[in-house]
Amino acid sequence: MTAPLWPQIKAVTGRDLSRERRSGEVAWVTIPFGAIALLLIPLAVGADIPLLRRIGPGLFWAVVMLFGILIAVRRTAAETGAQRDLVALLGIDPAAGFAGKAVASAVLLVGFELIVGVVAVLLYDIDLTRWPWLLVIVPGVAIGLALLGTLTSSIAANLDSGAALIPFLVAPLSVPLLLGATQALDPLRPSNGILPWVMLLLAVDLVLAIAGVLTARPLQETR
Amino acid sequence: MTSTRMDAVPRSWLDVAAILAVVVALGFAFLSPPDSSQGEVARLFYVHLPVILGAYLAFLVNFVASALYLGSRNLRWDHWAVSGAEVGVVLTGLTLGIGMLWAKPTWGVFWTWSARLTLTAIMFFVYLGYLTLRRATNDQRSRAFRSAIFGMLAIIQIPLVHFSVSIWRDIHQQPTVLRPDGAQMDDVLRNALLAGIIAYGLVTAALLRRRYHLARIQSLVDLELEQGGGDLAGEAISPPTLPGDQSEVSS
Repeated sequence: MTAPLWPQIKAVTGRDLSRERRSGEVAWVTIPFGAIALLLIPLAVGADIPLLRRIGPGLFWAVVMLFGILIAVRRTAAETGAQRDLVALLGIDPAAGFAGKAVASAVLLVGFELIVGVVAVLLYDIDLTRWPWLLVIVPGVAIGLALLGTLTSSIAANLDSGAALIPFLVAPLSVPLLLGATQALDPLRPSNGILPWVMLLLAVDLVLAIAGVLTARPLQETR
Repeated sequence: MTSTRMDAVPRSWLDVAAILAVVVALGFAFLSPPDSSQGEVARLFYVHLPVILGAYLAFLVNFVASALYLGSRNLRWDHWAVSGAEVGVVLTGLTLGIGMLWAKPTWGVFWTWSARLTLTAIMFFVYLGYLTLRRATNDQRSRAFRSAIFGMLAIIQIPLVHFSVSIWRDIHQQPTVLRPDGAQMDDVLRNALLAGIIAYGLVTAALLRRRYHLARIQSLVDLELEQGGGDLAGEAISPPTLPGDQSEVSS
Protein backbone atom coordinates (compact mmCIF):
# COMPACT_ATOMS: atom_id res chain seq x y z
CA MET A 1 0.00 0.00 0.00
CA THR A 2 1.42 3.37 -0.96
CA ALA A 3 1.53 6.30 1.45
CA PRO A 4 -0.70 9.29 0.66
CA LEU A 5 1.04 11.90 -1.47
CA TRP A 6 0.18 15.06 0.43
CA PRO A 7 2.25 14.32 3.60
CA GLN A 8 5.17 13.40 1.36
CA ILE A 9 4.87 16.67 -0.57
CA LYS A 10 4.70 18.57 2.71
CA ALA A 11 7.77 16.77 4.03
CA VAL A 12 9.85 17.53 0.91
CA THR A 13 8.67 21.17 0.85
CA GLY A 14 9.47 21.51 4.55
CA ARG A 15 12.93 20.03 4.03
CA ASP A 16 13.75 22.50 1.23
CA LEU A 17 12.39 25.50 3.13
CA SER A 18 14.31 24.44 6.27
CA ARG A 19 17.46 24.24 4.21
CA GLU A 20 16.79 27.77 2.96
CA ARG A 21 16.10 28.97 6.53
CA ARG A 22 19.46 27.61 7.65
CA SER A 23 21.52 28.77 4.68
CA GLY A 24 19.67 32.00 3.82
CA GLU A 25 20.86 31.63 0.24
CA VAL A 26 17.82 33.26 -1.35
CA ALA A 27 17.27 35.90 1.34
CA TRP A 28 20.87 37.03 1.70
CA VAL A 29 22.34 36.37 -1.72
CA THR A 30 19.82 36.14 -4.56
CA ILE A 31 17.43 38.90 -3.48
CA PRO A 32 20.20 41.49 -2.88
CA PHE A 33 21.80 40.36 -6.16
CA GLY A 34 18.52 41.05 -7.99
CA ALA A 35 18.19 44.46 -6.32
CA ILE A 36 21.75 45.33 -7.37
CA ALA A 37 20.88 44.44 -10.96
CA LEU A 38 17.95 46.89 -10.83
CA LEU A 39 20.36 49.57 -9.55
CA LEU A 40 23.01 48.88 -12.19
CA ILE A 41 20.73 49.11 -15.22
CA PRO A 42 19.99 52.87 -14.89
CA LEU A 43 23.73 53.47 -14.56
CA ALA A 44 24.19 51.71 -17.90
CA VAL A 45 21.27 53.26 -19.83
CA GLY A 46 21.35 56.72 -18.23
CA ALA A 47 19.11 58.50 -15.71
CA ASP A 48 16.28 59.17 -18.16
CA ILE A 49 13.30 58.97 -15.78
CA PRO A 50 10.50 58.69 -18.41
CA LEU A 51 12.49 55.98 -20.22
CA LEU A 52 13.16 54.07 -17.00
CA ARG A 53 9.49 54.36 -16.00
CA ARG A 54 8.52 52.88 -19.37
CA ILE A 55 11.02 50.00 -19.36
CA GLY A 56 10.83 49.35 -15.60
CA PRO A 57 8.20 46.56 -15.69
CA GLY A 58 10.06 44.72 -18.44
CA LEU A 59 13.35 45.02 -16.56
CA PHE A 60 11.70 43.74 -13.40
CA TRP A 61 10.40 40.62 -15.17
CA ALA A 62 13.74 40.05 -16.90
CA VAL A 63 15.46 40.19 -13.49
CA VAL A 64 12.83 37.81 -12.08
CA MET A 65 13.47 35.32 -14.89
CA LEU A 66 17.27 35.44 -14.81
CA PHE A 67 17.71 35.54 -11.04
CA GLY A 68 14.68 33.35 -10.43
CA ILE A 69 16.46 30.60 -12.34
CA LEU A 70 19.13 30.68 -9.64
CA ILE A 71 16.41 30.02 -7.07
CA ALA A 72 14.64 27.37 -9.11
CA VAL A 73 17.79 25.33 -9.73
CA ARG A 74 19.71 26.13 -6.51
CA ARG A 75 19.13 22.63 -5.15
CA THR A 76 21.09 20.99 -7.99
CA ALA A 77 24.39 22.30 -6.67
CA ALA A 78 23.53 21.33 -3.10
CA GLU A 79 22.00 17.89 -3.62
CA THR A 80 24.33 14.96 -4.15
CA GLY A 81 23.60 11.62 -5.80
CA ALA A 82 23.76 9.93 -2.38
CA GLN A 83 21.05 12.26 -1.04
CA ARG A 84 18.82 11.47 -4.00
CA ASP A 85 19.36 7.75 -3.48
CA LEU A 86 18.49 8.11 0.20
CA VAL A 87 15.22 9.89 -0.63
CA ALA A 88 14.38 7.14 -3.12
CA LEU A 89 15.16 4.41 -0.55
CA LEU A 90 12.93 6.14 2.00
CA GLY A 91 10.06 5.43 -0.35
CA ILE A 92 9.21 9.00 -1.26
CA ASP A 93 7.07 8.90 -4.37
CA PRO A 94 9.05 10.62 -7.18
CA ALA A 95 5.97 12.64 -8.18
CA ALA A 96 5.62 13.84 -4.58
CA GLY A 97 9.32 14.66 -4.54
CA PHE A 98 8.92 16.70 -7.72
CA ALA A 99 5.84 18.51 -6.40
CA GLY A 100 7.45 19.20 -3.01
CA LYS A 101 10.57 20.70 -4.55
CA ALA A 102 8.49 22.79 -6.97
CA VAL A 103 6.24 24.10 -4.16
CA ALA A 104 9.28 25.11 -2.07
CA SER A 105 10.86 26.88 -5.07
CA ALA A 106 7.55 28.61 -5.87
CA VAL A 107 7.24 29.92 -2.29
CA LEU A 108 10.79 31.30 -2.43
CA LEU A 109 10.18 32.79 -5.88
CA VAL A 110 7.02 34.57 -4.72
CA GLY A 111 9.09 36.08 -1.88
CA PHE A 112 11.78 37.10 -4.35
CA GLU A 113 9.22 38.70 -6.71
CA LEU A 114 7.54 40.64 -3.90
CA ILE A 115 10.75 42.09 -2.41
CA VAL A 116 12.45 42.84 -5.72
CA GLY A 117 9.08 44.14 -7.00
CA VAL A 118 8.91 46.72 -4.21
CA VAL A 119 12.48 47.78 -5.05
CA ALA A 120 11.53 48.09 -8.74
CA VAL A 121 8.42 50.17 -7.97
CA LEU A 122 10.46 52.52 -5.76
CA LEU A 123 13.37 52.89 -8.16
CA TYR A 124 11.51 53.02 -11.47
CA ASP A 125 8.22 54.61 -10.43
CA ILE A 126 6.28 51.77 -12.09
CA ASP A 127 2.61 52.32 -12.95
CA LEU A 128 0.49 49.99 -10.76
CA THR A 129 -3.00 50.80 -12.04
CA ARG A 130 -3.50 47.15 -12.99
CA TRP A 131 -2.27 45.78 -9.67
CA PRO A 132 -5.17 43.29 -9.16
CA TRP A 133 -3.80 41.22 -12.08
CA LEU A 134 -0.56 40.86 -10.13
CA LEU A 135 -2.43 38.60 -7.69
CA VAL A 136 -2.59 36.02 -10.49
CA ILE A 137 0.54 36.85 -12.46
CA VAL A 138 3.08 36.90 -9.60
CA PRO A 139 2.22 33.37 -8.36
CA GLY A 140 1.68 32.22 -11.96
CA VAL A 141 5.23 33.19 -12.94
CA ALA A 142 6.65 31.79 -9.69
CA ILE A 143 4.91 28.44 -10.15
CA GLY A 144 5.92 28.22 -13.83
CA LEU A 145 9.56 29.03 -13.15
CA ALA A 146 9.64 26.66 -10.17
CA LEU A 147 8.16 23.81 -12.24
CA LEU A 148 10.49 24.49 -15.16
CA GLY A 149 13.55 24.68 -12.92
CA THR A 150 12.61 21.52 -11.01
CA LEU A 151 11.84 19.57 -14.18
CA THR A 152 15.03 20.68 -15.94
CA SER A 153 17.08 19.94 -12.82
CA SER A 154 15.65 16.41 -12.85
CA ILE A 155 16.49 16.02 -16.54
CA ALA A 156 20.09 17.15 -15.99
CA ALA A 157 20.59 15.49 -12.57
CA ASN A 158 23.85 13.60 -12.06
CA LEU A 159 25.32 14.90 -15.30
CA ASP A 160 28.90 16.15 -15.18
CA SER A 161 28.08 19.65 -16.43
CA GLY A 162 24.61 19.75 -14.85
CA ALA A 163 25.07 22.86 -12.69
CA ALA A 164 26.32 24.91 -15.63
CA LEU A 165 23.93 23.37 -18.13
CA ILE A 166 20.62 23.87 -16.32
CA PRO A 167 20.40 27.70 -16.50
CA PHE A 168 21.18 27.45 -20.22
CA LEU A 169 18.30 24.99 -20.65
CA VAL A 170 15.83 26.91 -18.47
CA ALA A 171 16.41 30.49 -19.68
CA PRO A 172 15.16 30.15 -23.28
CA LEU A 173 12.32 27.84 -22.25
CA SER A 174 11.05 30.45 -19.79
CA VAL A 175 10.16 32.80 -22.67
CA PRO A 176 6.40 31.98 -22.64
CA LEU A 177 6.32 32.89 -18.93
CA LEU A 178 8.15 36.17 -19.56
CA LEU A 179 5.82 37.01 -22.45
CA GLY A 180 2.71 36.13 -20.43
CA ALA A 181 3.77 38.40 -17.57
CA THR A 182 5.04 41.38 -19.56
CA GLN A 183 2.29 41.41 -22.17
CA ALA A 184 -0.52 41.08 -19.62
CA LEU A 185 0.77 44.08 -17.68
CA ASP A 186 1.57 46.25 -20.71
CA PRO A 187 -0.11 49.58 -19.84
CA LEU A 188 -0.92 50.20 -23.51
CA ARG A 189 -2.91 46.98 -23.80
CA PRO A 190 -6.71 47.30 -23.60
CA SER A 191 -8.27 45.64 -20.55
CA ASN A 192 -9.94 42.92 -22.60
CA GLY A 193 -6.54 41.90 -24.06
CA ILE A 194 -5.06 40.87 -20.72
CA LEU A 195 -6.90 37.61 -20.16
CA PRO A 196 -5.36 35.66 -23.12
CA TRP A 197 -1.85 36.36 -21.80
CA VAL A 198 -2.82 35.28 -18.29
CA MET A 199 -4.34 32.14 -19.80
CA LEU A 200 -1.06 31.48 -21.66
CA LEU A 201 0.81 31.75 -18.37
CA LEU A 202 -1.55 29.36 -16.60
CA ALA A 203 -1.58 26.92 -19.54
CA VAL A 204 2.23 26.76 -19.49
CA ASP A 205 2.09 26.11 -15.72
CA LEU A 206 -0.38 23.28 -16.27
CA VAL A 207 1.66 21.65 -19.05
CA LEU A 208 4.84 21.82 -16.95
CA ALA A 209 3.06 20.36 -13.90
CA ILE A 210 1.71 17.43 -15.93
CA ALA A 211 5.08 16.84 -17.61
CA GLY A 212 6.89 16.96 -14.27
CA VAL A 213 4.57 14.54 -12.49
CA LEU A 214 4.43 12.08 -15.40
CA THR A 215 8.21 11.96 -15.90
CA ALA A 216 9.28 12.02 -12.24
CA ARG A 217 9.50 8.25 -11.77
CA PRO A 218 11.20 7.34 -15.06
CA LEU A 219 13.68 10.21 -14.56
CA GLN A 220 14.53 8.90 -11.09
CA GLU A 221 15.12 5.44 -12.56
CA THR A 222 17.21 6.89 -15.39
CA ARG A 223 19.83 8.38 -13.04
CA MET B 1 36.05 -0.98 -39.33
CA THR B 2 34.79 2.58 -39.22
CA SER B 3 35.23 3.28 -42.91
CA THR B 4 33.17 0.20 -43.79
CA ARG B 5 30.39 1.44 -41.58
CA MET B 6 30.60 4.97 -42.94
CA ASP B 7 30.13 3.49 -46.40
CA ALA B 8 26.97 1.89 -45.06
CA VAL B 9 25.20 5.27 -45.32
CA PRO B 10 23.56 4.59 -48.66
CA ARG B 11 23.21 7.21 -51.35
CA SER B 12 19.66 7.49 -52.54
CA TRP B 13 17.48 9.18 -55.09
CA LEU B 14 16.63 11.71 -52.36
CA ASP B 15 20.15 13.18 -52.38
CA VAL B 16 20.14 13.48 -56.19
CA ALA B 17 16.61 14.92 -56.20
CA ALA B 18 17.57 17.49 -53.54
CA ILE B 19 20.60 18.71 -55.50
CA LEU B 20 18.63 18.94 -58.76
CA ALA B 21 15.76 20.72 -57.02
CA VAL B 22 18.12 23.30 -55.50
CA VAL B 23 19.60 24.01 -58.96
CA VAL B 24 16.09 24.48 -60.38
CA ALA B 25 15.05 26.65 -57.41
CA LEU B 26 18.11 28.88 -57.79
CA GLY B 27 17.25 29.20 -61.49
CA PHE B 28 13.73 30.35 -60.61
CA ALA B 29 15.13 32.75 -57.99
CA PHE B 30 17.56 34.41 -60.38
CA LEU B 31 15.15 34.53 -63.32
CA SER B 32 12.31 36.11 -61.37
CA PRO B 33 12.08 39.92 -61.66
CA PRO B 34 13.67 42.05 -58.93
CA ASP B 35 11.36 43.50 -56.29
CA SER B 36 10.13 47.02 -57.05
CA SER B 37 11.15 48.40 -53.66
CA GLN B 38 13.85 46.04 -52.36
CA GLY B 39 15.59 45.32 -55.67
CA GLU B 40 17.91 42.31 -56.07
CA VAL B 41 18.25 41.64 -52.36
CA ALA B 42 14.65 40.36 -52.31
CA ARG B 43 15.90 37.17 -53.99
CA LEU B 44 17.23 36.08 -50.58
CA PHE B 45 13.59 35.61 -49.62
CA TYR B 46 13.40 32.56 -51.94
CA VAL B 47 15.96 30.83 -49.72
CA HIS B 48 15.13 32.44 -46.37
CA LEU B 49 11.52 31.28 -46.08
CA PRO B 50 12.04 27.72 -47.43
CA VAL B 51 14.99 27.19 -45.08
CA ILE B 52 13.02 28.16 -41.96
CA LEU B 53 10.16 25.92 -43.11
CA GLY B 54 12.77 23.15 -43.34
CA ALA B 55 13.85 23.97 -39.78
CA TYR B 56 10.22 23.73 -38.58
CA LEU B 57 9.95 20.35 -40.29
CA ALA B 58 13.15 19.14 -38.64
CA PHE B 59 11.99 20.29 -35.20
CA LEU B 60 8.66 18.59 -35.80
CA VAL B 61 10.56 15.37 -36.54
CA ASN B 62 12.40 15.90 -33.25
CA PHE B 63 9.11 16.32 -31.38
CA VAL B 64 7.37 13.30 -32.92
CA ALA B 65 10.45 11.09 -32.55
CA SER B 66 10.85 12.19 -28.90
CA ALA B 67 7.24 11.24 -28.20
CA LEU B 68 7.65 7.91 -29.96
CA TYR B 69 10.84 7.20 -28.00
CA LEU B 70 9.09 7.90 -24.71
CA GLY B 71 6.31 5.54 -25.77
CA SER B 72 8.48 2.70 -27.09
CA ARG B 73 12.02 3.20 -25.64
CA ASN B 74 13.28 2.17 -29.08
CA LEU B 75 16.63 3.91 -29.78
CA ARG B 76 15.69 4.22 -33.44
CA TRP B 77 13.40 7.09 -32.48
CA ASP B 78 16.18 8.75 -30.51
CA HIS B 79 18.31 8.69 -33.65
CA TRP B 80 15.53 10.45 -35.55
CA ALA B 81 15.14 12.94 -32.69
CA VAL B 82 18.79 13.97 -32.67
CA SER B 83 18.72 14.20 -36.47
CA GLY B 84 15.75 16.57 -36.29
CA ALA B 85 17.36 18.78 -33.66
CA GLU B 86 20.74 18.98 -35.36
CA VAL B 87 19.40 19.66 -38.85
CA GLY B 88 16.91 22.16 -37.39
CA VAL B 89 19.66 24.06 -35.56
CA VAL B 90 21.77 24.29 -38.72
CA LEU B 91 18.81 25.50 -40.79
CA THR B 92 17.72 28.00 -38.13
CA GLY B 93 21.26 29.38 -37.97
CA LEU B 94 21.24 29.67 -41.76
CA THR B 95 17.86 31.45 -41.66
CA LEU B 96 19.15 33.97 -39.12
CA GLY B 97 22.29 34.56 -41.17
CA ILE B 98 20.37 35.07 -44.43
CA GLY B 99 17.87 37.28 -42.62
CA MET B 100 20.67 39.50 -41.32
CA LEU B 101 22.18 39.79 -44.80
CA TRP B 102 18.77 40.84 -46.09
CA ALA B 103 18.10 43.23 -43.18
CA LYS B 104 21.22 45.37 -43.56
CA PRO B 105 20.38 46.84 -47.00
CA THR B 106 16.61 46.82 -46.31
CA TRP B 107 16.28 48.05 -42.73
CA GLY B 108 19.77 49.61 -42.38
CA VAL B 109 20.79 47.27 -39.53
CA PHE B 110 21.80 43.62 -39.28
CA TRP B 111 19.55 43.07 -36.28
CA THR B 112 16.33 44.67 -35.10
CA TRP B 113 14.23 43.77 -32.10
CA SER B 114 11.42 42.26 -34.09
CA ALA B 115 9.48 39.66 -32.11
CA ARG B 116 9.95 37.05 -34.81
CA LEU B 117 13.70 37.61 -35.06
CA THR B 118 14.17 37.48 -31.32
CA LEU B 119 11.99 34.41 -30.86
CA THR B 120 13.74 32.64 -33.75
CA ALA B 121 17.09 33.30 -32.08
CA ILE B 122 15.66 31.95 -28.82
CA MET B 123 14.39 28.85 -30.64
CA PHE B 124 17.94 28.38 -31.95
CA PHE B 125 19.29 28.46 -28.39
CA VAL B 126 16.60 26.11 -27.06
CA TYR B 127 17.63 23.41 -29.52
CA LEU B 128 21.31 24.21 -29.02
CA GLY B 129 20.59 23.47 -25.36
CA TYR B 130 19.02 20.17 -26.44
CA LEU B 131 22.23 19.24 -28.27
CA THR B 132 24.37 20.35 -25.31
CA LEU B 133 22.25 18.20 -23.00
CA ARG B 134 22.96 15.20 -25.21
CA ARG B 135 26.69 15.81 -24.96
CA ALA B 136 26.56 15.73 -21.15
CA THR B 137 26.32 11.94 -20.88
CA ASN B 138 27.63 8.94 -22.79
CA ASP B 139 24.95 6.53 -21.60
CA GLN B 140 22.71 6.00 -24.61
CA ARG B 141 19.48 5.17 -22.76
CA SER B 142 19.87 7.94 -20.21
CA ARG B 143 20.71 10.46 -22.94
CA ALA B 144 17.77 9.38 -25.07
CA PHE B 145 15.25 9.61 -22.23
CA ARG B 146 16.44 12.96 -20.85
CA SER B 147 16.62 14.59 -24.27
CA ALA B 148 13.22 13.18 -25.32
CA ILE B 149 11.53 15.01 -22.43
CA PHE B 150 13.40 18.20 -23.26
CA GLY B 151 12.49 17.81 -26.94
CA MET B 152 8.81 17.57 -26.04
CA LEU B 153 9.03 20.83 -24.06
CA ALA B 154 11.02 22.64 -26.74
CA ILE B 155 8.34 22.38 -29.42
CA ILE B 156 6.35 25.23 -27.84
CA GLN B 157 8.81 27.63 -29.52
CA ILE B 158 7.53 26.90 -33.03
CA PRO B 159 3.97 28.28 -32.67
CA LEU B 160 5.41 31.24 -30.75
CA VAL B 161 7.80 32.03 -33.62
CA HIS B 162 5.26 31.45 -36.36
CA PHE B 163 2.41 33.47 -34.87
CA SER B 164 4.61 36.22 -33.42
CA VAL B 165 4.13 38.51 -36.44
CA SER B 166 0.36 38.24 -36.11
CA ILE B 167 0.41 38.83 -32.34
CA TRP B 168 2.80 41.81 -32.22
CA ARG B 169 2.46 43.26 -35.75
CA ASP B 170 6.09 44.34 -35.79
CA ILE B 171 8.50 45.40 -38.52
CA HIS B 172 8.89 41.82 -39.79
CA GLN B 173 6.84 40.92 -42.84
CA GLN B 174 3.36 39.58 -42.14
CA PRO B 175 2.57 36.04 -43.38
CA THR B 176 2.25 36.06 -47.17
CA VAL B 177 2.16 32.32 -47.88
CA LEU B 178 0.92 30.41 -44.83
CA ARG B 179 -2.20 32.49 -44.16
CA PRO B 180 -5.83 31.44 -43.78
CA ASP B 181 -7.03 33.34 -46.86
CA GLY B 182 -4.36 31.86 -49.15
CA ALA B 183 -1.00 33.11 -50.43
CA GLN B 184 -0.96 36.75 -51.57
CA MET B 185 1.80 36.95 -54.18
CA ASP B 186 2.34 37.49 -57.86
CA ASP B 187 2.33 34.19 -59.83
CA VAL B 188 5.98 34.46 -60.94
CA LEU B 189 7.19 35.16 -57.41
CA ARG B 190 4.96 32.44 -56.00
CA ASN B 191 6.39 29.87 -58.43
CA ALA B 192 9.94 30.81 -57.45
CA LEU B 193 9.02 30.50 -53.80
CA LEU B 194 7.25 27.20 -54.37
CA ALA B 195 10.35 25.82 -56.16
CA GLY B 196 12.42 26.94 -53.15
CA ILE B 197 10.07 25.29 -50.68
CA ILE B 198 10.16 21.99 -52.59
CA ALA B 199 13.95 22.14 -53.02
CA TYR B 200 14.82 22.97 -49.42
CA GLY B 201 12.17 20.54 -48.20
CA LEU B 202 14.03 17.81 -50.12
CA VAL B 203 17.36 19.08 -48.76
CA THR B 204 15.94 18.86 -45.23
CA ALA B 205 14.67 15.34 -45.84
CA ALA B 206 18.03 14.27 -47.31
CA LEU B 207 19.96 15.78 -44.40
CA LEU B 208 17.62 14.15 -41.89
CA ARG B 209 18.06 10.77 -43.54
CA ARG B 210 21.85 10.99 -43.66
CA ARG B 211 22.07 12.24 -40.07
CA TYR B 212 19.80 9.41 -38.97
CA HIS B 213 22.15 6.86 -40.54
CA LEU B 214 25.10 8.59 -38.89
CA ALA B 215 23.35 8.44 -35.50
CA ARG B 216 22.65 4.74 -36.03
CA ILE B 217 26.30 4.05 -36.85
CA GLN B 218 27.43 6.09 -33.83
CA SER B 219 25.05 4.11 -31.64
CA LEU B 220 26.51 0.80 -32.90
CA VAL B 221 30.05 2.01 -32.25
CA ASP B 222 29.08 3.20 -28.74
CA LEU B 223 27.41 -0.13 -28.04
CA GLU B 224 30.49 -2.03 -29.17
CA LEU B 225 32.72 0.11 -26.97
CA GLU B 226 30.36 -0.37 -24.00
CA GLN B 227 30.61 -4.13 -24.47
CA GLY B 228 34.39 -3.94 -24.65
CA GLY B 229 34.51 -5.13 -28.23
CA GLY B 230 36.52 -2.25 -29.65
CA ASP B 231 40.22 -1.43 -29.44
CA LEU B 232 41.09 0.84 -26.56
CA ALA B 233 42.89 4.08 -27.33
CA GLY B 234 46.63 3.56 -26.96
CA GLU B 235 46.45 -0.21 -27.29
CA ALA B 236 48.42 -0.12 -30.52
CA ILE B 237 51.32 1.74 -28.84
CA SER B 238 54.04 -0.42 -27.30
CA PRO B 239 56.46 0.88 -24.67
CA PRO B 240 59.91 1.85 -25.96
CA THR B 241 62.69 -0.69 -25.41
CA LEU B 242 66.45 -0.23 -25.54
CA PRO B 243 68.55 -2.54 -27.75
CA GLY B 244 69.38 -5.66 -25.76
CA ASP B 245 66.81 -4.88 -23.07
CA GLN B 246 65.09 -8.17 -22.14
CA SER B 247 62.87 -6.77 -19.36
CA GLU B 248 59.08 -7.00 -19.75
CA VAL B 249 56.85 -4.15 -18.76
CA SER B 250 53.99 -5.60 -16.82
CA SER B 251 50.61 -4.29 -17.80
